[in-house]
Amino acid sequence: MQSIPRSIVLRGLRANKLYTPVNCHRSFSTTTLQRAEGDPAVQPPPKASSEDAPAVKAGESAMIRQQGASEGEPRHTPDYNVAVDYRTSAFSPIPMRVMDGSEPGDVVPAAVLSGAPTDLQARNVRIFKPTKTATQSGDWHSHHWRMDWDVLGKGHRWENPLMGWQSSADAMQGTHLNFKSKEDAINFAEKQGYEYYVQEPNERRIIPKAYANQFVHSPKKLKNIRTK
Amino acid sequence: MRATTALQKINATYLAQRTRSSTNWGDAQYRVFKSYREWLRAAPEIQQMYSLNMPVSAIRTKIRQEFERHRYVAQLPTVDVLLFHSHQEFQETLNFWKQLTHVLKYFRSEEDPKARLPKDFIAGFLEGRN
Repeated sequence: MQSIPRSIVLRGLRANKLYTPVNCHRSFSTTTLQRAEGDPAVQPPPKASSEDAPAVKAGESAMIRQQGASEGEPRHTPDYNVAVDYRTSAFSPIPMRVMDGSEPGDVVPAAVLSGAPTDLQARNVRIFKPTKTATQSGDWHSHHWRMDWDVLGKGHRWENPLMGWQSSADAMQGTHLNFKSKEDAINFAEKQGYEYYVQEPNERRIIPKAYANQFVHSPKKLKNIRTK
Repeated sequence: MRATTALQKINATYLAQRTRSSTNWGDAQYRVFKSYREWLRAAPEIQQMYSLNMPVSAIRTKIRQEFERHRYVAQLPTVDVLLFHSHQEFQETLNFWKQLTHVLKYFRSEEDPKARLPKDFIAGFLEGRN
């Protein structure tokens, strides 16, 4: 048996079937139905061809995207070209960067997987230890660390025009999270992709005092004379 | 009354998939391509099912956009979870468990001019975003 090239055999087989190309919708509709010119459900003519695909072409390097030296550094300016989700509104702040799972290291990219709004990654978060109540000497509230969201620039609070109630566009207003330690709070903020800053607590400085120290003998001249 | 045994055959829902982890990056790539192909081939059916007022190419562009969003993920378990989410959305969409609202969530930035970030600082300032 002669060795026939496979392509010719297959072409012969395919010629028997009715081969309909993908973009023939337009040609069918002009003959059968009268469709309006601006019908949005009809397939428009293709604007790009397969040469425009971002795939690797022959002769080019195999890397899809060459990363510049500055692209790997953390951003300090707002990124206006970031991908947004359906919850973006006129009050959404502009993020510095949005987590997309490509961060190096062993951090769980919870920001990508949790389905949380990407606006949360634009907001600043404060990690601090709540202070002891000044009016009482007990410090039962100041043993944990707290995470608090900074207010929005616009949409933080306005007066309801009908009743005068305080309205807000801020979903995280009045929300705070409590953690056992500072490292726990920092890990959570990094996992969720928040921009965070840590406020170290002011430690109480207790000076031990004794009344008798005022009368201790000193050979040198006294700095403070406590008696007349 | 017929006594039923504890081991009865469970009839899976249409398009249900057994949960599994990818064994390596090659396996993950195979699953991602399979999922992408499924979505692309279902695009005309989605347009017809939900009576979407846009061409099939717009739906396919959106599918591509959603897959490109997670192109550079570095960890394999993350890819597994994303694949699970993708198939979950696929099953919910094709079984008609979603409603038009849920499908149009993906197209919010195209339909609503207010649901976008401004182009640059000046555009945002003129909008009043400060």
